Amino acid sequence: MAPYLLKRVGQTVLTAWVTVTIVFLLLRLAPGDPAVSYAPPNPTAAQLDAIRHEFGLDRPLLSQYATFLSHLAHGDVGTSFQFREPALAVVLQRLPFTITLAVAAIVVTALLAIPLGVWMARRANTAAELGANIATIAGQSMPDFWIGFVLLIIFAVNLQVLPSSGFTSLSSLILPTLTIVILQVALISRLVRREMGVNLAAPYVTIARSRGVSESRLTWRYAFANSAIPVVTALGTRFAAMLNGVVIVEVVFQWPGVGSLVVDALERRDLPLIQATVLVTVVLALVVQLGVDLLYPLLDPRVRLGAGAR
Amino acid sequence: MSDPTPLIGTEGALLTRAVSRRSLLQLAGFLGAGAALGPALAACAGPQSSSTSSAGAGSDSLSIILNRNLVSLDNKLNQYDAAVTVQRAVRQALTQIGLDLKPQLVLAKTFALASPTTWNVELRDDIHYSDNSPVTVEDVETALKLYFQVSAGYVASQFAEQPTLTKTGDRTFTLTTKKPLVTLDALMSNILITPAAANKAEELREGIGSGPFTVASADSGTGTYKLVRNENYWGEKALLSEVNVAYQEDEGARVIAITSGQTDVIDTITPESAASLKTKQDVEIVQNKGTRLIHLFYNFRKPSSHPLSRPAVREALSHAVDHDSLISSLMAGQVTSAEGVVPTTLSGYAPTGTYTFDLDKAKSMLAAEGVKDLKLTFIWEDSEFAGASRVLEAVGQMLDAAGVGVTLKQIPKGGDINGWRRGESGDWDVLANGYGNQTGLAITNLVGQYGGTAAKEKTRDTYQGFVVPEISDLLDSAGSEPDAAKRDALLKSAQEKVWALWPAMWAWTPNNLLARRKRVTTLDLSPGNYYDLATVAVAD
Amino acid sequence: MAVADLVRPSAVTLRQLNSSAAARRARHSTIKIWVGAICAGIVVVPVVLAGVLPLPDPVRGVLKDTSLPPLSPGHLLGTDPNGRDLLSRILHGGQTSLIIGVLAIVLSGLIGVVAGSLAGYYGGWVDVLVSRALEAQMSLPLLLMLLLVVALFGPSITVITLVIAVAQWPEPARLTRALVLVEREKPYVAAAQVLGLRRPSIILRHIIPNILPQVLVVVFLLLAQAVLLESALSFLGAGVQRPYPTWGGIISDGRELFVIGTWWLVTLPGVAIALLVVGVNLLGDGLRDRVRRVKAAT
Repeated sequence: MAPYLLKRVGQTVLTAWVTVTIVFLLLRLAPGDPAVSYAPPNPTAAQLDAIRHEFGLDRPLLSQYATFLSHLAHGDVGTSFQFREPALAVVLQRLPFTITLAVAAIVVTALLAIPLGVWMARRANTAAELGANIATIAGQSMPDFWIGFVLLIIFAVNLQVLPSSGFTSLSSLILPTLTIVILQVALISRLVRREMGVNLAAPYVTIARSRGVSESRLTWRYAFANSAIPVVTALGTRFAAMLNGVVIVEVVFQWPGVGSLVVDALERRDLPLIQATVLVTVVLALVVQLGVDLLYPLLDPRVRLGAGAR
Repeated sequence: MSDPTPLIGTEGALLTRAVSRRSLLQLAGFLGAGAALGPALAACAGPQSSSTSSAGAGSDSLSIILNRNLVSLDNKLNQYDAAVTVQRAVRQALTQIGLDLKPQLVLAKTFALASPTTWNVELRDDIHYSDNSPVTVEDVETALKLYFQVSAGYVASQFAEQPTLTKTGDRTFTLTTKKPLVTLDALMSNILITPAAANKAEELREGIGSGPFTVASADSGTGTYKLVRNENYWGEKALLSEVNVAYQEDEGARVIAITSGQTDVIDTITPESAASLKTKQDVEIVQNKGTRLIHLFYNFRKPSSHPLSRPAVREALSHAVDHDSLISSLMAGQVTSAEGVVPTTLSGYAPTGTYTFDLDKAKSMLAAEGVKDLKLTFIWEDSEFAGASRVLEAVGQMLDAAGVGVTLKQIPKGGDINGWRRGESGDWDVLANGYGNQTGLAITNLVGQYGGTAAKEKTRDTYQGFVVPEISDLLDSAGSEPDAAKRDALLKSAQEKVWALWPAMWAWTPNNLLARRKRVTTLDLSPGNYYDLATVAVAD
Repeated sequence: MAVADLVRPSAVTLRQLNSSAAARRARHSTIKIWVGAICAGIVVVPVVLAGVLPLPDPVRGVLKDTSLPPLSPGHLLGTDPNGRDLLSRILHGGQTSLIIGVLAIVLSGLIGVVAGSLAGYYGGWVDVLVSRALEAQMSLPLLLMLLLVVALFGPSITVITLVIAVAQWPEPARLTRALVLVEREKPYVAAAQVLGLRRPSIILRHIIPNILPQVLVVVFLLLAQAVLLESALSFLGAGVQRPYPTWGGIISDGRELFVIGTWWLVTLPGVAIALLVVGVNLLGDGLRDRVRRVKAAT
C-alpha cells in the first residue's frame, strides 16, 4: 500500500508541475501585452516599460521561470497584477465558493441520480424506461450555459423568486446547482442503470430470487451493493472534474468562485493569478481523485491496489 | 484504472461480508453527509458576512453594485469614474471637482495662484482623520511624493510635471512648478491624503482617511466593501449610516439585482438597460451628459500618398455616417453627437462644428478627390464601449453604401490593442476609442490627443500619430496662460484648427446613466459619472 | 422471428415474443434512432441548405428592423439589434459550427484510432506512452487550456478545430485500445501472424475492420460534444471572429440583452444547439445498442 501511495503522490506532484509549467510558458508566449491592462489609458512607452519591469516581464523566460520555481518552493505563487496581493491568497479566498457549489451539486446529483438509475434498471426495456432514457440523453446534451440562462429567465427575471447572481443567501445556490445537476444526473443515472442492469441479470440474483428473497432486498442489498463501487468512484471523479469545470456556470451566474476569477484573469492577463488558479484547481482535483482511488479497496475487497492495477 | 470484472458471488459470501461492509458504508455515508453539509453550511455562514446584505437591511443603509472590481480604496494606480464615488467617501484631497466641473475647496482653506509658477495653499484648521489625528502639511507632502513614485501611476500621468511642495507655515505651503501649471487646483483633486506614516508608494489596502465614511470591512478578492458613517467627521456628517459596495461585471445581473431589490444603485448602465428600467415602477433613471468622448479616429501614420491623409477625404467619410439612425436604433438615444473636438461639458470647450449626414455629398466629395475602391480597416478593443461591435458593423454598412469597403477587426482584451495603436502590429485606418476625462478640463483632452510632437512620436507616444506643431504650440501657450479668458481664447483657436482637419470620422459623448431605486431620495450625479456619498439620502 | 416461421406449433405466442426483452430492446433502439435522426435532421438539413434557401443576409442587417421579436413579418425568429434576421444567422452560423465539429471528430477519430490501436497491439513502451498521455490529458483543466491556446494562436477555424480535436482524442483512443487488446488474443490474429503478415498490416486489414462499427459510433457521438465545445468557446469569447455568426457567439452577444426582454437571442440558438446535440446523442445511443455485443452477465 505504502509504495502505491508514494507512487500516486509522486504522479500527482509531477502532473501538477507539468501543468503549471505548460501554463507558465503559454502565458508568456501568447501575444498581447499584460502591462497594458495595468497602465493608465493611452500609456507612453516609458510607462509600459516601468510596469513591465515591476512585474518582472522584461527578464528572459528562463530567469522568470527560475524565480517562479524558487518562490513556489516557499509557497509563493507570485503577486497578482490586478490585486497586488499574493495570488495564492486571492484564489484561496474564492475557493470556498467553488467548493460549496461543487459539493452541493454532487450531493444533489447523488440523491437524484441513484434512485433514478435504479428505477430505470428495474423497469428495463419498458416504455417508461425508454422515456427516461431519452430524457437523460436530452439532459446531458444541452449546453450548460444555455440551461443556466433559461433558468435565469424563468426564475429570476420573470418569476423573480430566486436571486440571479452572486452569493447573497442560501437560495443563490439553487439555480447554479440546478444547472450543473441536470447534466450530472443524466450521466450518473445512466451509469447506475448500466451497472444495475448487469447485476440484476447476474446468476446470483436469479438464484436468490428463486430462494424467495424479496425484490426490494434484491435490488438494494444485492445488486446495488455491487453497483455502488463504480458509481461512487464515478461520483468522486465527477466531483474532481467539477472543481475545474464549473467555469461556465460561474460565469453565467456571476458566482464569486475560482472559475469566474480565472476567466477574468485571462482577459486581464493577470499571469500570477492564472497560474495560481491552475495550480490550486489541478492539485485539488488530483487529490480528490487520489482519495477516491484509495477508497476503492475499502469498498471492494476484491481489489488490491498496486499489483496490476492501472 | 482496470474495471474489476464481477466475480460470481454467492449469497453466503455476500452476507458474511455484508455486515462489516454495510456498517462501513453506513459510517462512510454519515461521514460523507456530514462532510458535505458541514462546509456548505460553514461556507454559507462565512461568505454571507462579507457579501452585500439586501437593500434596506437597516434604514439609512445603501447598497451599490459597480461594474468593475474596486480592487482597492486608493487611486494611485488606477481610477475609474464609479470608483471615485467610493474612494472619495473615505479619503479626501485638497480640492474636488464639483457638480459644475469646477474645482472646489475641500481640505484646503485657500488655493490661489500667486504667480504663474506658484500656488499658495492653506489647509483648514478643523480637518482631522477619523481617529481624530490632525491632517498636516507633511501628509500632503508625502502623498504628493508617493503618487509620483508609483511606476506608471494613473494620477501622476495627468500632471505635466511634478510640483514641488515647500512648507511655509504650520498650515500653509506653496506648490511650485518649472513651467506654469495653471490647472493645478483641478489636478490636485486626485491626490488623496492619508497620514504620512501609513502612506506607501502603492495602493493602500487599509488605513484611515478624513472623509465622511470609514471602512468597516474590505475584501478585494470578491470586491465587497462595507463603509460606515464617520461619526468623527470634521464636516457635515453623512446622511447614510452604512454603504455596501459589491460588483458584478454582467450587466444583466446588475439589472436583475436592482429590479429584485437586491441593490439600490447601479451606475454606468447601458442604454438598453436604461430603456428597460424606465418601465419599472420602483426604479428611476438618472441621466446627464457625460465627459467621455468616443470617436472613430484616423490613423495619422499613413504615407502622404494615402487618401486618408487628405482632410477633404476624411470630411467626406464623415458625411457618410448616418449617426441619427445609429443613435436611435443602437444607442437608445442616450448619446449626443459631438459638437466640437471635446465634450461640451468640459471647461474650455468651444463649439467648432457638427457632424452631418449627407450621403450624396459624401459620394461627390470622394469622387472629387479621385477616391475609388477605398478599403478601410477598423480596429477596436473588445467592450471598448457599450454595443461597440453592433455600432461598428452598422457603420461598416453605411460606408459600404458610399462605395467604401470596410473590414472590421475586433482586438480581444489582453493588451494587444496597444501594439496596434502604436503601429506595431499591423496596418489599420480607423480606431474606435473611448477617451475619458478625470479633470473636467478640455485642455487635458486636447493635450492628450492633439498635443503630439515630433519628439513624442519618436517613441510612438502620440495619439495615433497626430502631430501638428501649430496646434501643439497653441496648447503649450494655453497651458501656461494664467489669465482664464486668454487661455480659453487660445484653446478655442486650437480646437478650430483641429476641427478643420476632421481627425475623427464621428465622435459622440454618451450620457451617464445611473439607476436608483425610489427609496434613494437624493443622489446628485456629476457629469464625471460620480456622486458624493455623503449627500445621498434614503427613505424607507 | 414470427410464429409462422417456426416449423412446429409452439406455446409461445407472437405477443409474448414481441414483448420479450430482446424484442423490446430492438424496438427501443429503433425508436431512438428515428427520433434522434429527426431531431438532428430538423437542424442539419436547413443548415446545409442555408446558402440555397431564401434567407435575409446574416451579416448585413437593416438598422430600422432592430430587435424585432419572433413571428414578426418577414422574420420568423426575430432580429438582433443590428436588424439581422436571427433564423438566417442561426442557419449560417450552424454551417460554421458543423464544419468545425465534423472536421474535429474526423481528426480526433483518426488520431484516437491510430494511437489506440498501436498502444493496444504493440504494448510495451508505446502503450505506456499513450496511456500516460491519456491520463495527463484527463487531469488537465480542459476549458482553461483551450482558452489559453486560442489566446495564443488566435481564434481561427483551423485553431479551434485543432483544439477541439486534441480535446477529444482520448475517448476513441481508450476505446480502440481496449478493443484491440481483446482482438489481439483471438485466433484469426494468430493465424495472420503465422501466415507472415506484418503487424501494421494485421492491424489495418484485420483488426480495425472488426472494431470499426463500435468505434465509429463513439466518434459520431463526439460530434455532439464538439458542437457543445465550440459553442462554449464562442460563448467565452474565444470563438470565430465577427461579424460571421456562430451559435455560441450569438448567445454571447445576446447575453446582456436578454434581461431587458430580448430573450430570443439567447434561447433560440440554444434550442438549435440542443436539438442537434440531442438528436446526435439519441442516434448514436440507438446505434450503439445495435452494435454493442451483448455483455453477458456472468
